[in-house]
Amino acid sequence: MDLDLAFFTGLFVDTFFNYWWVILPAIFLGIVVGAIPGFSAANTIIILLPLTLAMGEEMGLIFMVALYCSSRLGAGIPAILVNIPGTAGAAATPLDGYPLTQKGMGPQALSISFVSSNIGGLLTTIVVLFTMQYIIELVYVLHSVEMIVIMLFGISLIATIAAKDTLKGLIAGFFGLMIGYIGADVIYETPRGTFGFLELYDKVPLIPALVGLFAISEAFLIIERKSILSEAGREKMMNSTWADTFEGAKIALDRWWHIVWTSQIGLVIGVIPGAGAAIASFVAYQQSKTFSKTPELYGTGHYEGLIAPESANNGVTSGTLVPLLVIGIPGGATAAIMLVVLQYHGTTVGPDLFVEKPELAYGVFTAMLLTYMMMLPAGFPLARYMSRVTMVPTRYVTPIIIAFTLVGSFVPRGYVFDMNVALVFGIIGYIARKTDYHVAAILIGVILGPMLENFFIIALRMSRGDVTTLFSSRTGNVLWVCLILSLVLPYLKEWRKTRKAAREAIHKGDEAEQGGTTK
Amino acid sequence: MAENNPSDEAGPKPIGADLIIPVAAIIFTIYYISTILDMKWEAQVSAFLVGGILLFLCAIFLIRTFLEVRSGKATMSFEALINPISAIPKRAMLFGLTFLYIVLVPYGGFTIVTFAFLALAMLVLSDWQKKRFILMLSGLLAIGGYILFIVIFKRRFPEGPFETFVNPIVKSMLGG
Repeated sequence: MDLDLAFFTGLFVDTFFNYWWVILPAIFLGIVVGAIPGFSAANTIIILLPLTLAMGEEMGLIFMVALYCSSRLGAGIPAILVNIPGTAGAAATPLDGYPLTQKGMGPQALSISFVSSNIGGLLTTIVVLFTMQYIIELVYVLHSVEMIVIMLFGISLIATIAAKDTLKGLIAGFFGLMIGYIGADVIYETPRGTFGFLELYDKVPLIPALVGLFAISEAFLIIERKSILSEAGREKMMNSTWADTFEGAKIALDRWWHIVWTSQIGLVIGVIPGAGAAIASFVAYQQSKTFSKTPELYGTGHYEGLIAPESANNGVTSGTLVPLLVIGIPGGATAAIMLVVLQYHGTTVGPDLFVEKPELAYGVFTAMLLTYMMMLPAGFPLARYMSRVTMVPTRYVTPIIIAFTLVGSFVPRGYVFDMNVALVFGIIGYIARKTDYHVAAILIGVILGPMLENFFIIALRMSRGDVTTLFSSRTGNVLWVCLILSLVLPYLKEWRKTRKAAREAIHKGDEAEQGGTTK
Repeated sequence: MAENNPSDEAGPKPIGADLIIPVAAIIFTIYYISTILDMKWEAQVSAFLVGGILLFLCAIFLIRTFLEVRSGKATMSFEALINPISAIPKRAMLFGLTFLYIVLVPYGGFTIVTFAFLALAMLVLSDWQKKRFILMLSGLLAIGGYILFIVIFKRRFPEGPFETFVNPIVKSMLGG
């Protein structure tokens, strides 16, 4: 079978006419579950597994893919409107999305997010369709040593993100890492730092940590104000029209190149098994800030600061499926469930899949393309009307946030204990926000802690305890250089800027002096 | 991200509250290391490395704080944490209600306890005004939550009298 444009066009048209009725409800379900912390796409697919298995192989996969992509988009909605990311993958979204909402630009912010997410997802899916065999090489060159550097790369972002005070950012990040180390170790299963709680043997649960750090702490902060919006923002929001919604789309489209390159960051990180959307969105945010002409505007409601994480975390979706379909290694939780469904139907994933069932292998990506194309028109009415949530007084919003996010923290494991974990993280988050420690930095630490430890142990075991193994790989060493550069470059840029300003001041002073002398 | 941070105002910065996170980090790191002392080195090495860096960073922060206080640029006040003072009673009551919600939900079930929490919290935050509206809104939200999470998503939420009474009716309506 020829894998040419005619094949892909035929596949695309077939998928559209045969499965549009499956994709559409999956999109709406995905947006809803993505927006509720705790109800991730993976959880929902597990709940709906009997339905998915009964659907048949192709239809089931298309349903899961549509739900997966739309849940990524949904997770950005509460992150932008109330500073509470629906999943860890949207943790970088509120950095600039929420300040935009506070200025009364909720509809614009949501539109920017939807357009960036959709275009980012579309582009990366097209790239994957044509370059899959080359991208997969990435998985083969990344071993434990390289993964350690990638994890440290993620942590180093903390220092850059917490631009107000790097030391505080680093303390928050490493505190998060130590919290992430709680639980039984992977080799001997001996509990460490669990305070005697059996429920913590399986590491600190991520959703309650997310709920506490972002939602509970935010709820206790917003009661200090009557409204989420500023006075001017409220005025602006009350008079918002469809034009504001489309203004957001225009803002995003004007920055199309930004969407293009930040979404490719998401794709590359998505291909790496275990790295995930959380790291991708922060890496994209940091890179966007590093190469920006106005880095000082990041964190104040800067458009690029919202575009970067949103396009990157949607770029991850297609990347995650590459190792699953090509070599049978799921790149994340949702991909792992897809593997289960494929195995249930007797399909073996791997290179043979593309020869034996090209319609299925490539069909997954054409379904993804369709999902992104169908999601865009659905997004604009959502942007227009969902942003109205911010008009509700905080006296009503606060209890709703607390009750429903606490329930969300209960969902993944079904332990009441996890609600207590959310409350404890809520207290930590509240103190952190009040004293300018970045809650996102703590969360990255909690996410990366267990992964870093695993790769560290693997690397040391393979080298029989030789620490110099960390510098033994060529790829690893290149990554070390990139890591150091990413830490040093912002300071160098700042230093050059200060020096330039100082020179200009001296130059102006000299000119003024000369002018005075001439007179 | 911090609201009402007095650090932006003129005069010495109140940085007492800034020490809470580093001190908590130091205490936790020491506790964590105490739990791994008897373990094999594979279970220790990563924690020693990260814990060591964290303790080092906290030490730098403590020294910086000490120098700032000594030079008069900062004070050991906890203003940043407790401001605005007018919000303290509501914040404390909301915290108490949240704690009670977690304690009571396994016994009272999701729907009733969520209704009680929403109603009480909203009444406290709105100074006990608009009682009828708040009771109706809380009821609608609790029932909506029950339908969405328990009936549609079929999550095993803590059950109480409401769920025990309504679940069989819903099941029979949905055909078993």
